[in-house]
Amino acid sequence: MTAATFLAPDLDITQRESVLGRTSPLVKLGISLAWLIGLGLTLDVRPPLILTVIVLSAGLELGRIPPGMLARRVAPLMVAAAGIALTNLLFSTHNPDPAAHEIVRIGPLRITEEAVAAAVGLAARVAAIVSVAAVFVLTTDATRLMDSLVQQARVSPRFAYGLLAAYQAVPRLADDLAALRGARRLRGLRELDPSILLGLLVRAIRHADQLSIAMDARGFGAGRRSIYRPIAWTSLDLVVGASALVILVSALVLSR
Amino acid sequence: MDVARGRGAAGDDDDDPPVAVVAGHGPFTTAGLGSGIVLQDPASQLVMERVGDDVAFGLENLAWGRAAMRERVPEALAGVGLRGFEDRRSTRLSGGEQQRVAIAGVLAPGPGLLVLDEPTAHLDPAGAEAVFRVLRTIREREAATIVLVEHRVALAWPLADTVLALDDEGRPIDVGAPADVLKRSATKLASAGIWLPDDRPGTAAAPVPSPDPLSTQVLGTEPVLDVAQVRFGYVATAPVLRAVDLTLMPGERVALVGRNGSGKTTLLRLALGLLEPLAGEIRLGGRDPRRLPAVQLARLAGFVPQEPELGFLGQSVREEIELGLPQEQLTHAHDLAERLRLPLADFGDRSPYRLSGGEQRRLSLVTGLARRPLLLALDEPTFGQDRRGHEALVGALAELVGEGSAMLAATHDDRFVREAADRRVELADGWVLADEPVELWKAAS
Repeated sequence: MTAATFLAPDLDITQRESVLGRTSPLVKLGISLAWLIGLGLTLDVRPPLILTVIVLSAGLELGRIPPGMLARRVAPLMVAAAGIALTNLLFSTHNPDPAAHEIVRIGPLRITEEAVAAAVGLAARVAAIVSVAAVFVLTTDATRLMDSLVQQARVSPRFAYGLLAAYQAVPRLADDLAALRGARRLRGLRELDPSILLGLLVRAIRHADQLSIAMDARGFGAGRRSIYRPIAWTSLDLVVGASALVILVSALVLSR
Repeated sequence: MDVARGRGAAGDDDDDPPVAVVAGHGPFTTAGLGSGIVLQDPASQLVMERVGDDVAFGLENLAWGRAAMRERVPEALAGVGLRGFEDRRSTRLSGGEQQRVAIAGVLAPGPGLLVLDEPTAHLDPAGAEAVFRVLRTIREREAATIVLVEHRVALAWPLADTVLALDDEGRPIDVGAPADVLKRSATKLASAGIWLPDDRPGTAAAPVPSPDPLSTQVLGTEPVLDVAQVRFGYVATAPVLRAVDLTLMPGERVALVGRNGSGKTTLLRLALGLLEPLAGEIRLGGRDPRRLPAVQLARLAGFVPQEPELGFLGQSVREEIELGLPQEQLTHAHDLAERLRLPLADFGDRSPYRLSGGEQRRLSLVTGLARRPLLLALDEPTFGQDRRGHEALVGALAELVGEGSAMLAATHDDRFVREAADRRVELADGWVLADEPVELWKAAS
């Protein structure tokens, strides 16, 4: 249940009808990719920070994501980002380098300016990635994403809708694992054992099998399909996409 | 099989129904040819996230025009009593609602033939009744020929124009109008273990041994299970159980009833120490089941889960039965397997996963009961069982309870409550709604 709501949250109608909600998922996917690649072009700390601030405010303003929901989504990942940065700060290869500029020395631990710069840069980039992903997920309905992939990117419906259906079965598999562990305990055995994988595998294949039977039984993949939820390119897609590119370029230019 | 359009047929057989027999070819490729199939497990046949999209899925595959789809989807949903459900998430619906969505999706393209494979197997009585109400409407409107494979004969027989009864090997025993089949072959059907619509507890072929009602007093004074003021929720804001009290003494047979989602399975899992209560106390044989070492827990409690496969740990039936079992209990386990029609000579080397649904269910009963545990926790133990399986189960349970075990069984099966329980505990919205002797309930109903 929790896994399901985390991966595919229930989007409110206000989120689905918001500016970002109405933007083609494909455009948002493209923006996310462009931003990630763009961030790879610079080691400067400012562009990822600028993009983080912009994407979070866009999520709140243009995506109508409730602030609490966004915070709950982003906070744990931000903590993880900070942890990664700290590890990198402490164990950076710059620290033992005699040429690097020392800031502080605690016992055997030497921390240098270069290490701090690298760690902060890394943290900022992780924060940007996390924020972009969170805003994408919280403004994109899973069904609409697949519709868009099929209709706008010519992805095979078999792949896209199969994926969507399989995705809904993921939480079931987590429940299955819990049940199998319980079954082992109730027979006086250790809860975790490699043999549990067999049971889990059988369940996964069963779910997949039943699903594909259900899909085939309803004539899926037999031939030409029609479309119940049409998605068309709109001027909104152009505006959102272009603005995102302008923001990325400005952020990169600014840091020079 | 020759069934005129707009008529219904009910199949009845022991285990896995050979559905393909009905259409003469595999049902899985026939959607475009004017037939549709509804399967047992409601959750595994819904393809799309939202109800309306799921109903439209089959129409899209048949390349219906958009305007026609927009018109047909609400119509199909209204036809199964789910008007206005288009935007609901299918995973959030009850089993009965999910099954009706599945029927709506299959019926939307207007197939000539509707095949249903035990569609109510996972449903509570109210959900099952709702599904059958839909089937009756379809039949009255002559909207499609219905081929129904079903163990719940009380609901299925009145619906049928033709009944086809199959034996263990899938060979037809008899086919014809329900009244004729009943007149001609009632004995043959009964001896093949097929439920008959007028089956009453007294008409069972073998008398069910019932423990001496007085014996409860001498079996022990320490409760087997003591649940006190237990509160539980998977999400803190949505409690499944609110303040549940339940005490089981040795020799007691308790049926836990209530609608889908009323917390029956959750209470079982709490009693077994598989979940931790948010508040309240649980004692199994005087100890906290969560703190018990696995070996001791296994001696105290046996569990038969709703889905047998989720309890399987072995690669063969023999391994499954003998896994973790002390030497001195092997003979009893083998006897039990024999009684539940899983003789090791025939079944020992087969994979548990390759058994039919009914066989899997009986195997999980063997593993759950083999240790003669103090607490027998059963989740829908009679689901998918024919009459012979039912009687063997009730007999085995009565015997164990006579030796001082206590039974706690979550069930939708009123017949099982009448025959195998002496106390009936009804859950609703996380509360214990009723806790009464079965005799009293029988008299009231």
